[in-house]
Amino acid sequence: MSSGLVQNDVDGYGFQRPSNFNHGEYDAFMAEYLPVMTRRALRWEKVIGNASRINKSRTVKRFCRKGIPASLRPMVWMSITGADVRMESNPHLYQQMLSANHDRELTETIEMDIHRTFPDNAYFSNPNDNKCLRKPLYNILISIGHRNKTIAYCQGMNFIAGLMLLIMKDEDKYEEKVFWLMDTLINNILPDYYHPDMHAIQVDQELLGELVKWKYPAIHTHLDHLGLQWCLIGMKWFICIFADVLPIDTVLRVWDCLFSEGPKILLRVALAIVCRNQEKILKCKNFSEVTDLFQEAVVGSDSLHCHSFLKCMFEELGSLPMARVNRVREEVKTRV
Amino acid sequence: MSQRGGAQRPNGAAQGKICQFKLVLLGESAVGKSSLVLRFVKGQFHEYQESTIGAAFLTQTVCLDDTTVKFEIWDTAGQERYHSLAPMYYRGAQAAIVVYDITNQDTFGRAKTWVKELQRQASPNIVIALAGNKADLSNKRMVEYEEAQGYAEENSLLFMETSAKTAMNVNDIFLAIAKKLPKSDSGGQSGQRPQPGVRLNEQNQASEGGCCK
Ligand SMILES: Nc1nc2c(ncn2[C@@H]2O[C@H](COP(=O)(O)OP(=O)(O)OP(=O)(O)O)[C@@H](O)[C@H]2O)c(=O)[nH]1
Ligand SMILES: [Mg+2]
Repeated sequence: MSSGLVQNDVDGYGFQRPSNFNHGEYDAFMAEYLPVMTRRALRWEKVIGNASRINKSRTVKRFCRKGIPASLRPMVWMSITGADVRMESNPHLYQQMLSANHDRELTETIEMDIHRTFPDNAYFSNPNDNKCLRKPLYNILISIGHRNKTIAYCQGMNFIAGLMLLIMKDEDKYEEKVFWLMDTLINNILPDYYHPDMHAIQVDQELLGELVKWKYPAIHTHLDHLGLQWCLIGMKWFICIFADVLPIDTVLRVWDCLFSEGPKILLRVALAIVCRNQEKILKCKNFSEVTDLFQEAVVGSDSLHCHSFLKCMFEELGSLPMARVNRVREEVKTRV
Repeated sequence: MSQRGGAQRPNGAAQGKICQFKLVLLGESAVGKSSLVLRFVKGQFHEYQESTIGAAFLTQTVCLDDTTVKFEIWDTAGQERYHSLAPMYYRGAQAAIVVYDITNQDTFGRAKTWVKELQRQASPNIVIALAGNKADLSNKRMVEYEEAQGYAEENSLLFMETSAKTAMNVNDIFLAIAKKLPKSDSGGQSGQRPQPGVRLNEQNQASEGGCCK
């Protein structure tokens, strides 16, 4: 972590900071965030002790909402998603997928995206570095594609697997673990977002629109008036589950909750972005102003302060009953 | 035609016409759509450009004589499965750039399919340009200039070979499109006039050539 005196051009995850990176703002955020996370880590340790796995419980859910400490994140992710159990019960599967004869088109499509995944990240930019994660990324995507023949490879999965690698890279068998985490994510956690017909992803964009209409009717009317459909804004948000969209610490906090509670979290994230920018949205006078606003909102300081962002997701938004979400999802399915 | 008073602010009558056009980029993955837009909008090129997910929206303004043309650009994702989303981006577009990679014959075939789809399903007056990108890699050329040019002529497309890397023909292709677009106030374009004081000129002008001569 940067000390605040040395202005680091690369963050703790290897991401190159943009030239206009606001160090002052970031340091202020970290000064506030680090003590919070240290306190959280102590409380987690009390719950977990030195267990190598945890079971889902209300406590764990509550704890995940408040953030998994970085040191425990790999283990907790593997546990709460059930990826660890699946990995243990299929000890040879990853190797089999990896060494199988892969479809040529699949190979080509994935190869094309390997150097286009986080090109500014220190762990992805230099193929000659022995810590470079390009090869593991390729291995994981090709194995996922080979195992999940219908999905094969959907652009966007590269960013998700890439970010998982950055978090898991110091673990034993990290490549295999990320494979299982990915496999669990696309098959057990997310709706069928990566299906080639892109139906589920479009349905959820419509669903988001309806939820905005319900929670923030004035915003909905205004955006509608400016000609904004949610799929124009939110496609990458959902496909990448906010990787390469929100600031990194915020994405990780979102994933902590997503892995523990499921995809409803994604709707909460999108709604929180709306919630935190209501006044600005209402001031937008045309389509390009509103798209600019969202582009800034997802990287801006409102999103950087992940602690208050997550608070907004759960507290300010109020309840989001699953029954309602599911009913609206069924309704919009007929429109897409 | 001269623009009075520095003409940097769209200040009512002192300024020439302002037209706004929606432009969409289509073409197979990795042919260089995002790179062309990045070159046009920011004057930059990245050897490793991130793959586009869904689509990205950018704007850029160019000046043609006394007219300010503001492009609202949708840079779409090239992977085949994103195809079903494409109508959302080309619907109502006044212009399209269909991009292929001169070093890859398949991408040219794919470009032709895009052109057909646009001719059938986009606005009838859409201005279509065909861009044979990566022209700097001519030693690896797989699509002959004449072949693409012949095809473009048959289909009344604007055609240029471009290089996002060297900037060759990048501003030019956008300018050529701007010239071809109808700019009458009542030309049926969605060009609602941006209100005075609304950003227009905060966007940096096209970095080289092209702008406000
Ligand atoms: N040599 C050369 N390389 C280029 C040129 N334009 C783009 N590239 C490279 O080609 C690769 C793909 O470029 P992109 O701009 O990402 O392609 P795209 O069409 O946007 O791809 P998708 O977003 O996947 O649809 C990148 O690595 C670029 O650096 C060019 O004019 N010359
Ligand atoms: Mg692109």
